[in-house]
Amino acid sequence: MTLDWSVVWQNKWLLAEGALMTIVLTVLTMGFAVPLGIVLAFMRISKWRSLALFSQCFVELFRNIPLILIVYWSFYVIPILVPVQFSAFTTGLIALVLCVSAYNAETFRAGINSVRAGQTNAGLALGMSQFQVMKEIILPQAARRVLPILATTWVSLFKDTSLVSVIAVGELSHVALQIRSQSFRVLEMLTAMAVIYWMMGYPQAKLSDWVRKKFEVKE
Amino acid sequence: MTDTTPIRRAATQPPLLEYKHVRKAFGAFQAIDDISINIYPGEVVCFIGPSGSGKSTLLRGTNGLDPFDGGEVIFDGLVLPRKPSDVRKVRQRMGMVFQNFELFPHKTALQNVAIGPITVLNTDRATAEKQAMALLAKVGLDDKADNYPVNLSGGQQQRVAIARALAMQPEVLLFDEPTSALDPETIGEVLSVMKALADEGRTMVIVTHEMSFARRVADWVIVFERGKVLEEGPPEQIFEAPTVERTKEFLGHLGWA
Repeated sequence: MTLDWSVVWQNKWLLAEGALMTIVLTVLTMGFAVPLGIVLAFMRISKWRSLALFSQCFVELFRNIPLILIVYWSFYVIPILVPVQFSAFTTGLIALVLCVSAYNAETFRAGINSVRAGQTNAGLALGMSQFQVMKEIILPQAARRVLPILATTWVSLFKDTSLVSVIAVGELSHVALQIRSQSFRVLEMLTAMAVIYWMMGYPQAKLSDWVRKKFEVKE
Repeated sequence: MTDTTPIRRAATQPPLLEYKHVRKAFGAFQAIDDISINIYPGEVVCFIGPSGSGKSTLLRGTNGLDPFDGGEVIFDGLVLPRKPSDVRKVRQRMGMVFQNFELFPHKTALQNVAIGPITVLNTDRATAEKQAMALLAKVGLDDKADNYPVNLSGGQQQRVAIARALAMQPEVLLFDEPTSALDPETIGEVLSVMKALADEGRTMVIVTHEMSFARRVADWVIVFERGKVLEEGPPEQIFEAPTVERTKEFLGHLGWA
């Protein structure tokens, strides 16, 4: 069996485009999933039962089914639910946002709950309002605990974007697998894919480790 | 017949703080069982008694953090409101010091002291920090202004917490077992700060297990048991000649009498 690596180089621009799309998907997903996660977390801890219940159902649904299923589901179900025709990219993005915002909601909720009740009392005792306590006391402390977990989620998400390739979103996996099936250079393309993912993922993982170290809560 | 009623010097003025028939239960456990007591301006009042006697619960109900089930607290002639936005106004006038300090770990000592005036009184940062610095100096910690709580000892943290309470210029200071979480060697520094505040004539309500401190600093001592007031009086009476047998027993367990 002879290997011909030239196929990788010949398709460098296609692969670069795919890699760029992977990054764009990751950034956009997090861009939506962080605020959504915050909203869901606040709904979950709010005193309005219906909001809390909605948030809980949302989180428990999307957190407990495989992402690939959400991707397929979005692809087939969204066109039935809404009259608008979404592109594959938008559909994939929606699927990722649904899943990751469910994760983020739990992350934020845990972060807020991890700040002990005495801190709230100390703020209230000074005469602060509930809102001021949340803003000045709870959220800054929660953020330090949430950030490292968000960084970990980011690293997973970066790799999980590959799952939207099943609905033909032109990110790195899709592009590479397309080239593979056209050129029959299976091993070369899979290896190239692995190398590109690793080269992009490794620095992010290191950055995430650094974030975790930097924001470690000492008490 | 001689009058044996102990003299309460501060009682010539109207009380600053009145508890009227306050009650609180945790499930079937009656933590506070119809207590009515007064705190007068300028007084240092110590709440003592065995664990679970209701003294901490009474203190935490004072500013509505842990509201009573019934009865009322009257502060400066004003019934403590139940509505969150109204009770805030009263809380601003009461300082509270917690057993576990509860300093804000993401803020420096200086920022911990300044945050109350900045957020609640809308004091500008520069003024608030200047006042905070003066308060840290008062508790002997101006050299630690830029330290985060994690880098302070328990005793230092509690002194910062006292400065934080003072920053709101409270009319009464509530201390909830302020030295119970401290290493023995740092208890003294906190007590001496509290003694200095007492000497300034501040009104202080202190839940404590430090009997020698209560004996030395209190103007009035209230002994609690099972959610009721067992006995109250000046420290000389409580510690030297308690009139109630259970007070003798309680103090006896602690090595007094």
